[in-house]
Amino acid sequence: ILDDPDLKDIDPTVLKHCHAAAAMCILEAGKQKADISAISTCLEDCKLDKERIEQFCTEYQKNKDALEILLGSIGRSPLHITDVSWRLDYQIKSNQLHKTYQPSYLVTLNVENSDSGSHPDVSFSCTMEQLQDLVGKLKDAAKSLERATQM
Amino acid sequence: KLNIGVDTIQHGVEGLSYLLTESSKLMISEIDFQDSIHVLGFSDELNKLLLQLYLDNRKEIRSILSELAPKLPSYHSLEWRLDVQLASRSLRQQIKPAVTIKLHLNQNEDQTTQVLQTDPSTLLHLIQQLEQALGEMKTNHCRRIVRNIK
Repeated sequence: ILDDPDLKDIDPTVLKHCHAAAAMCILEAGKQKADISAISTCLEDCKLDKERIEQFCTEYQKNKDALEILLGSIGRSPLHITDVSWRLDYQIKSNQLHKTYQPSYLVTLNVENSDSGSHPDVSFSCTMEQLQDLVGKLKDAAKSLERATQM
Repeated sequence: KLNIGVDTIQHGVEGLSYLLTESSKLMISEIDFQDSIHVLGFSDELNKLLLQLYLDNRKEIRSILSELAPKLPSYHSLEWRLDVQLASRSLRQQIKPAVTIKLHLNQNEDQTTQVLQTDPSTLLHLIQQLEQALGEMKTNHCRRIVRNIK
Protein backbone atom coordinates (compact mmCIF):
# COMPACT_ATOMS: atom_id res chain seq x y z
CA ILE A 1 0.00 0.00 0.00
CA LEU A 2 2.87 2.31 0.78
CA ASP A 3 4.02 1.98 -2.83
CA ASP A 4 0.63 2.71 -4.44
CA PRO A 5 0.96 5.88 -6.65
CA ASP A 6 -2.65 6.95 -5.91
CA LEU A 7 -1.90 7.18 -2.21
CA LYS A 8 1.41 8.97 -2.63
CA ASP A 9 0.17 12.26 -1.30
CA ILE A 10 -1.10 11.02 2.01
CA ASP A 11 1.01 10.97 5.12
CA PRO A 12 2.32 7.38 5.50
CA THR A 13 1.49 7.28 9.23
CA VAL A 14 -2.13 8.13 8.50
CA LEU A 15 -2.13 5.49 5.79
CA LYS A 16 -0.85 2.88 8.23
CA HIS A 17 -3.52 3.79 10.75
CA CYS A 18 -6.23 3.53 8.11
CA HIS A 19 -4.96 0.20 6.93
CA ALA A 20 -4.74 -1.18 10.46
CA ALA A 21 -8.20 0.11 11.32
CA ALA A 22 -9.74 -1.38 8.20
CA ALA A 23 -8.01 -4.70 8.80
CA MET A 24 -9.21 -4.79 12.44
CA CYS A 25 -12.73 -4.04 11.37
CA ILE A 26 -12.76 -6.74 8.71
CA LEU A 27 -11.20 -9.39 10.95
CA GLU A 28 -13.56 -8.65 13.82
CA ALA A 29 -16.56 -8.80 11.50
CA GLY A 30 -15.30 -12.08 10.07
CA LYS A 31 -14.58 -13.55 13.51
CA GLN A 32 -18.06 -12.76 14.79
CA LYS A 33 -19.64 -13.79 11.50
CA ALA A 34 -21.44 -10.45 11.45
CA ASP A 35 -24.11 -9.88 8.83
CA ILE A 36 -24.31 -6.87 6.54
CA SER A 37 -26.78 -4.90 8.66
CA ALA A 38 -24.62 -5.23 11.75
CA ILE A 39 -21.59 -3.96 9.82
CA SER A 40 -23.58 -1.08 8.33
CA THR A 41 -24.84 -0.01 11.73
CA CYS A 42 -21.34 -0.14 13.14
CA LEU A 43 -19.95 1.96 10.30
CA GLU A 44 -22.83 4.45 10.60
CA ASP A 45 -21.90 4.93 14.25
CA CYS A 46 -18.40 5.76 13.03
CA LYS A 47 -19.90 8.54 10.91
CA LEU A 48 -19.02 7.08 7.50
CA ASP A 49 -21.24 8.29 4.67
CA LYS A 50 -23.72 6.01 2.92
CA GLU A 51 -21.76 5.57 -0.27
CA ARG A 52 -18.61 4.47 1.55
CA ILE A 53 -20.59 2.07 3.73
CA GLU A 54 -22.16 0.47 0.68
CA GLN A 55 -18.81 0.07 -1.07
CA PHE A 56 -17.26 -1.48 2.03
CA CYS A 57 -20.15 -3.91 2.48
CA THR A 58 -20.12 -5.01 -1.17
CA GLU A 59 -16.41 -5.74 -1.05
CA TYR A 60 -16.86 -7.54 2.27
CA GLN A 61 -19.62 -9.75 0.88
CA LYS A 62 -17.45 -10.70 -2.08
CA ASN A 63 -14.60 -11.89 0.11
CA LYS A 64 -16.55 -13.15 3.14
CA ASP A 65 -16.24 -16.86 2.37
CA ALA A 66 -12.52 -16.73 1.70
CA LEU A 67 -12.09 -14.75 4.91
CA GLU A 68 -13.96 -17.33 6.95
CA ILE A 69 -11.94 -20.18 5.53
CA LEU A 70 -8.73 -18.33 6.37
CA LEU A 71 -9.82 -17.56 9.93
CA GLY A 72 -11.01 -21.11 10.44
CA SER A 73 -7.66 -22.53 9.49
CA ILE A 74 -5.78 -20.54 12.11
CA GLY A 75 -5.29 -22.37 15.34
CA ARG A 76 -3.69 -25.39 16.92
CA SER A 77 -4.79 -28.90 16.21
CA PRO A 78 -3.24 -32.35 16.43
CA LEU A 79 -1.24 -33.54 13.44
CA HIS A 80 -3.59 -33.81 10.50
CA ILE A 81 -3.68 -36.90 8.28
CA THR A 82 -3.82 -35.97 4.62
CA ASP A 83 -3.17 -39.23 2.82
CA VAL A 84 -2.07 -42.84 3.22
CA SER A 85 0.36 -45.03 1.28
CA TRP A 86 0.72 -48.75 1.67
CA ARG A 87 3.02 -51.52 0.51
CA LEU A 88 2.39 -55.25 0.53
CA ASP A 89 5.41 -57.51 1.11
CA TYR A 90 5.73 -61.25 1.27
CA GLN A 91 8.37 -62.20 3.80
CA ILE A 92 10.47 -65.18 2.83
CA LYS A 93 13.40 -65.21 5.20
CA SER A 94 15.68 -63.19 7.41
CA ASN A 95 19.20 -63.96 8.54
CA GLN A 96 17.74 -65.12 11.85
CA LEU A 97 14.81 -67.09 10.55
CA HIS A 98 14.20 -68.89 7.28
CA LYS A 99 10.95 -69.89 5.61
CA THR A 100 8.79 -67.27 7.29
CA TYR A 101 6.25 -67.01 4.40
CA GLN A 102 4.07 -64.27 5.73
CA PRO A 103 2.40 -61.35 4.00
CA SER A 104 3.15 -58.06 5.71
CA TYR A 105 1.88 -54.54 5.10
CA LEU A 106 3.82 -51.32 5.46
CA VAL A 107 1.48 -48.37 5.95
CA THR A 108 2.51 -44.72 5.91
CA LEU A 109 0.13 -42.00 7.05
CA ASN A 110 1.05 -38.70 5.43
CA VAL A 111 0.71 -36.10 8.12
CA GLU A 112 0.70 -32.33 7.98
CA ASN A 113 1.55 -30.04 10.84
CA SER A 114 -0.50 -26.86 10.57
CA ASP A 115 2.06 -24.88 12.58
CA SER A 116 5.37 -25.58 10.97
CA GLY A 117 4.22 -27.04 7.68
CA SER A 118 6.51 -29.98 8.33
CA HIS A 119 5.61 -33.52 7.35
CA PRO A 120 6.31 -35.93 10.20
CA ASP A 121 4.84 -39.02 8.51
CA VAL A 122 3.86 -41.98 10.64
CA SER A 123 4.93 -45.38 9.34
CA PHE A 124 4.23 -48.78 10.76
CA SER A 125 4.07 -52.41 9.74
CA CYS A 126 1.16 -54.74 10.32
CA THR A 127 -0.13 -58.17 9.48
CA MET A 128 -3.26 -58.77 7.47
CA GLU A 129 -5.30 -59.34 10.62
CA GLN A 130 -4.03 -56.12 12.16
CA LEU A 131 -4.85 -54.17 9.02
CA GLN A 132 -8.35 -55.65 9.07
CA ASP A 133 -8.69 -54.50 12.66
CA LEU A 134 -7.52 -51.01 11.71
CA VAL A 135 -9.89 -50.74 8.75
CA GLY A 136 -12.75 -52.11 10.85
CA LYS A 137 -12.25 -49.42 13.45
CA LEU A 138 -12.02 -46.66 10.83
CA LYS A 139 -15.26 -47.92 9.30
CA ASP A 140 -16.91 -47.75 12.73
CA ALA A 141 -15.83 -44.13 12.99
CA ALA A 142 -17.21 -43.39 9.52
CA LYS A 143 -20.54 -45.05 10.32
CA SER A 144 -20.74 -43.06 13.52
CA LEU A 145 -20.09 -39.86 11.54
CA GLU A 146 -22.89 -40.74 9.14
CA ARG A 147 -25.31 -41.32 11.99
CA ALA A 148 -24.29 -38.04 13.61
CA THR A 149 -24.98 -36.07 10.44
CA GLN A 150 -28.47 -37.52 10.26
CA MET A 151 -29.43 -36.36 13.71
CA LYS B 1 25.44 -83.72 41.03
CA LEU B 2 26.32 -84.97 37.56
CA ASN B 3 30.01 -85.45 38.42
CA ILE B 4 31.18 -83.89 35.18
CA GLY B 5 33.41 -80.84 34.72
CA VAL B 6 31.88 -77.39 34.26
CA ASP B 7 33.46 -77.02 30.83
CA THR B 8 31.87 -80.19 29.57
CA ILE B 9 28.45 -79.08 30.70
CA GLN B 10 28.91 -75.66 29.15
CA HIS B 11 29.93 -77.21 25.85
CA GLY B 12 27.01 -79.58 26.09
CA VAL B 13 24.52 -76.79 26.63
CA GLU B 14 26.03 -74.67 23.87
CA GLY B 15 26.02 -77.59 21.47
CA LEU B 16 22.43 -78.42 22.26
CA SER B 17 21.21 -74.85 21.87
CA TYR B 18 23.13 -74.46 18.61
CA LEU B 19 21.57 -77.68 17.31
CA LEU B 20 18.05 -76.63 18.22
CA THR B 21 18.41 -73.03 17.06
CA GLU B 22 19.83 -73.91 13.66
CA SER B 23 17.27 -76.65 13.10
CA SER B 24 14.40 -74.37 14.05
CA LYS B 25 15.75 -71.50 11.97
CA LEU B 26 15.94 -73.64 8.87
CA MET B 27 12.71 -75.44 9.73
CA ILE B 28 14.20 -78.79 8.71
CA SER B 29 12.01 -81.84 8.44
CA GLU B 30 12.10 -84.77 10.89
CA ILE B 31 13.99 -86.94 8.45
CA ASP B 32 16.63 -84.31 7.80
CA PHE B 33 17.04 -83.77 11.53
CA GLN B 34 17.46 -87.47 12.18
CA ASP B 35 20.00 -87.79 9.36
CA SER B 36 21.95 -84.84 10.73
CA ILE B 37 22.29 -86.13 14.26
CA HIS B 38 22.92 -89.70 13.17
CA VAL B 39 26.42 -88.54 12.19
CA LEU B 40 27.15 -87.76 15.84
CA GLY B 41 26.98 -91.42 16.72
CA PHE B 42 24.61 -91.25 19.68
CA SER B 43 22.37 -94.11 20.77
CA ASP B 44 18.98 -94.56 19.14
CA GLU B 45 17.23 -93.63 22.36
CA LEU B 46 19.17 -90.36 22.60
CA ASN B 47 18.42 -89.59 18.97
CA LYS B 48 14.70 -90.08 19.59
CA LEU B 49 14.88 -87.77 22.62
CA LEU B 50 16.67 -85.10 20.62
CA LEU B 51 14.10 -85.31 17.82
CA GLN B 52 11.26 -84.95 20.33
CA LEU B 53 13.00 -81.99 21.93
CA TYR B 54 13.33 -80.35 18.54
CA LEU B 55 9.69 -80.87 17.57
CA ASP B 56 8.36 -79.72 20.93
CA ASN B 57 10.30 -76.48 21.07
CA ARG B 58 10.55 -75.58 17.40
CA LYS B 59 7.57 -73.20 17.37
CA GLU B 60 8.68 -71.25 20.41
CA ILE B 61 12.27 -70.96 19.23
CA ARG B 62 11.04 -69.65 15.88
CA SER B 63 8.84 -67.02 17.48
CA ILE B 64 11.78 -65.81 19.57
CA LEU B 65 14.01 -65.70 16.50
CA SER B 66 11.40 -63.69 14.61
CA GLU B 67 11.82 -60.91 17.17
CA LEU B 68 15.43 -60.47 16.11
CA ALA B 69 14.74 -59.44 12.52
CA PRO B 70 14.92 -55.73 11.62
CA LYS B 71 11.51 -54.19 12.08
CA LEU B 72 9.56 -50.96 11.91
CA PRO B 73 7.14 -49.94 14.61
CA SER B 74 4.19 -52.28 14.35
CA TYR B 75 0.51 -51.66 14.75
CA HIS B 76 -0.99 -52.44 18.10
CA SER B 77 -4.41 -50.83 18.18
CA LEU B 78 -6.37 -47.71 17.39
CA GLU B 79 -8.93 -45.62 19.28
CA TRP B 80 -11.06 -42.95 17.68
CA ARG B 81 -13.28 -40.08 18.73
CA LEU B 82 -15.70 -37.85 16.86
CA ASP B 83 -15.36 -34.11 17.50
CA VAL B 84 -17.13 -31.04 16.19
CA GLN B 85 -15.28 -27.76 16.48
CA LEU B 86 -17.74 -25.02 17.36
CA ALA B 87 -15.50 -22.00 17.75
CA SER B 88 -11.92 -20.91 17.98
CA ARG B 89 -10.10 -17.78 18.97
CA SER B 90 -10.07 -16.58 15.38
CA LEU B 91 -13.55 -17.66 14.24
CA ARG B 92 -16.86 -18.07 16.03
CA GLN B 93 -19.93 -20.05 15.06
CA GLN B 94 -18.22 -22.93 13.29
CA ILE B 95 -19.38 -26.45 12.58
CA LYS B 96 -16.22 -28.35 11.77
CA PRO B 97 -16.41 -32.14 12.19
CA ALA B 98 -13.19 -34.01 12.81
CA VAL B 99 -12.14 -37.50 13.77
CA THR B 100 -9.43 -37.73 16.42
CA ILE B 101 -7.41 -40.91 16.39
CA LYS B 102 -5.05 -42.42 18.96
CA LEU B 103 -2.69 -44.85 17.28
CA HIS B 104 -0.89 -47.36 19.52
CA LEU B 105 2.32 -48.74 18.08
CA ASN B 106 4.91 -51.21 19.37
CA GLN B 107 8.61 -50.66 18.80
CA ASN B 108 10.99 -53.15 20.36
CA GLU B 109 9.05 -53.66 23.57
CA ASP B 110 8.11 -49.96 23.89
CA GLN B 111 4.56 -48.87 23.28
CA THR B 112 4.24 -45.48 21.65
CA THR B 113 1.12 -43.44 21.11
CA GLN B 114 0.39 -40.90 18.40
CA VAL B 115 -2.58 -38.57 18.45
CA LEU B 116 -3.73 -37.65 14.96
CA GLN B 117 -6.72 -35.97 13.43
CA THR B 118 -8.50 -36.13 10.12
CA ASP B 119 -11.60 -34.77 8.44
CA PRO B 120 -14.54 -36.88 7.25
CA SER B 121 -13.63 -36.92 3.55
CA THR B 122 -10.03 -37.95 4.24
CA LEU B 123 -11.34 -40.68 6.55
CA LEU B 124 -13.42 -42.14 3.73
CA HIS B 125 -10.42 -41.90 1.43
CA LEU B 126 -8.23 -43.75 3.97
CA ILE B 127 -10.81 -46.51 4.30
CA GLN B 128 -11.06 -46.92 0.55
CA GLN B 129 -7.28 -47.06 0.08
CA LEU B 130 -6.70 -49.56 2.89
CA GLU B 131 -9.53 -51.80 1.73
CA GLN B 132 -7.82 -51.92 -1.64
CA ALA B 133 -4.63 -52.91 0.14
CA LEU B 134 -6.41 -55.76 1.93
CA GLY B 135 -7.90 -56.94 -1.33
CA GLU B 136 -4.48 -57.34 -2.93
CA MET B 137 -3.69 -60.61 -1.19
CA LYS B 138 -6.72 -62.16 -2.85
CA THR B 139 -5.70 -61.27 -6.40
CA ASN B 140 -4.50 -63.99 -8.76
CA HIS B 141 -1.03 -62.49 -8.87
CA CYS B 142 -0.47 -62.74 -5.13
CA ARG B 143 -2.12 -66.13 -4.87
CA ARG B 144 0.19 -67.50 -7.55
CA ILE B 145 3.29 -66.22 -5.79
CA VAL B 146 2.23 -67.58 -2.41
CA ARG B 147 1.53 -70.96 -4.00
CA ASN B 148 4.88 -71.12 -5.76
CA ILE B 149 7.20 -69.93 -3.03
CA LYS B 150 7.35 -72.76 -0.55
